[in-house]
Amino acid sequence: MARVTFDNVVKKYGDTTVVKGLDLELPDGAFTVLVGPSGCGKTTTLRMIAGLEPVTSGSIRIGDKDVTKLEPKDRDIAMVFQNYALYPHLTVRENLAFPLRAIRVNRAEALKRADAVAETMGLTTLLERKPKDLSGGQQQRVAIGRAIIREPSVFLFDEPLSNLDAKLRVEMRTELLQLQRRLGITSLFVTHDQEEAMTLSDFIVVMRDGEIAQQGKPKDVYDKPNSTFVAAFVGSPKMNLMDGSFTAGKFAADSGLTLAVTSVSAGKKILGVRPDDVILEVGGKSASRGRIGVIELLGPRAIVQVEAAGHSLTAVVEASRMEGIVEGAEVGISIRSGSQHLFDVETGLRI
Amino acid sequence: MNRFKLIDASRIVLLVFAVAAVALPLVWVALASFKTPADLNQPGIVWFTPTMSNWTEVLSSDIFVSVGRSVLVATVTVAIAVVVGSMGAYSIARFSTGGSLSRFGILAAQVLPPAVLVFPFLSVAYMLRLNGTLVPIIFSHLSFVVPVVTWFLIGFFAAVPKEIEEQARVDGFGRFDTFRLVVLPQVLPGIGAAAIFGFTLSWNDMFYGLILSPSNSTILPVAIAGFNTFRGVELGPMAVAILIAIIPVVIASFFVQKRLVQGISGGAVKG
Repeated sequence: MARVTFDNVVKKYGDTTVVKGLDLELPDGAFTVLVGPSGCGKTTTLRMIAGLEPVTSGSIRIGDKDVTKLEPKDRDIAMVFQNYALYPHLTVRENLAFPLRAIRVNRAEALKRADAVAETMGLTTLLERKPKDLSGGQQQRVAIGRAIIREPSVFLFDEPLSNLDAKLRVEMRTELLQLQRRLGITSLFVTHDQEEAMTLSDFIVVMRDGEIAQQGKPKDVYDKPNSTFVAAFVGSPKMNLMDGSFTAGKFAADSGLTLAVTSVSAGKKILGVRPDDVILEVGGKSASRGRIGVIELLGPRAIVQVEAAGHSLTAVVEASRMEGIVEGAEVGISIRSGSQHLFDVETGLRI
Repeated sequence: MNRFKLIDASRIVLLVFAVAAVALPLVWVALASFKTPADLNQPGIVWFTPTMSNWTEVLSSDIFVSVGRSVLVATVTVAIAVVVGSMGAYSIARFSTGGSLSRFGILAAQVLPPAVLVFPFLSVAYMLRLNGTLVPIIFSHLSFVVPVVTWFLIGFFAAVPKEIEEQARVDGFGRFDTFRLVVLPQVLPGIGAAAIFGFTLSWNDMFYGLILSPSNSTILPVAIAGFNTFRGVELGPMAVAILIAIIPVVIASFFVQKRLVQGISGGAVKG
């Protein structure tokens, strides 16, 4: 149980700087998710905590201990890799017990604890199998079981769910969250999937090009993205972003679309609107008109593309309000009052 | 259709020739071991009365002392070569030790004729007063068995996923324990094959054995050559001794043939 602190951590590979002066604190006992597009330095950051990548400059502390120069074995961490990295020559039981061997727990005791972990992970019937005889989901459970057996101070997860099929991924997500809640061990989870990040995290860190784009509670990041990058990255389907200029109560997009908005100071800005805040009305009074394009029905709601004055807007429509929303239909477009996000045209930062 | 049949037929013909080229001399040696000297002087003879005299002569001689020495030399050589070679191969596979040259450069010494090395070995052995023992032979064999075993194992080590090593390090093990407990078990089949391969290399060497071991500590290939006496070649007993030398190698090759291809191609192709 410990917080993890990054103090101006830099990582370079030759001339390329992958992580640019990271200052970050993972709250004690919380589930932190590090999310970002591929190549943003998130996995490198995780591996630096693990001690698998040397730090170019800066320092990393786990609790009060400076671990910057320590070997992985001296950091009291556990990690789950994307491909699970089970030891192929050992059975499930031996795989689970393996980390205990490093701390010289006697064999009988280690196997007993392995059996106990196997029970919590639902692996009891598979104890004698070798990893190659397990399904992806079972391998995943073994990898997680092996990580929890030693009760380390920090858990590290490197995209552990991305090799599972969609249904299993959602199941494991829930299970992982329950497990973390029960054990209360500080966890860092790396993913490129923003949905996974939103659902799992107590604390979310969005990374871009080796820097933190935004960090905070998932709801805060979702409600108040501090840049167009975060706005577009977090949330699915992604936020509508339009360049244009504001005049009293009206927004005129460069493409020609005009929308009624809550009054803001005049000038050129980027308007961001979440798809759930786009309201479509069949035959409504709104002056902004558009034509329905593709409709993706999800069940309780549908993702609707609206073509309006050369602009393609994404809207989310509740199933109960789908009447008249068919491909080719003409609709009035308005945005929920107070739901607009404004960004600077030059910097892309939130205004 | 006919073309394929033709290719199949030519394949079979080729295989028959290949098998004949390898097997006929062996068959001839096997038959020779049951022939009297008189029969041996008529190479064209097909029917002969088999005799056990060659076998009884050789089996009652001290040939098995030479076999024992050869086994000892090969075993010690292989034991050292496997320990040194597996660590070297791991280092080259994982850390590109010595740059890209070491992967193949390691075999460069094989190009040298043994004659270049044998006299240094001999004079060092004299200086250390190890002449007349098996020690210089073991060292001379190490000079070619270690590089071959190392080269052979590189591909096997390169095939071990890096993640399981990282996993072991995160699970609390140091570098050497990771190597010993996690990496080595993955390459055991390769090490077994390399050991047998190295064993046959040492077992078959005659040149170093001939020069470095005086008559009182002959190894098997030298003992076989010993049937070439001043009275002429004693073909019958020699055939028996050859069979004694060949049979273990044939059996060993049978067990490692699959790994042999994997080791040789793995070492060459894996980047």
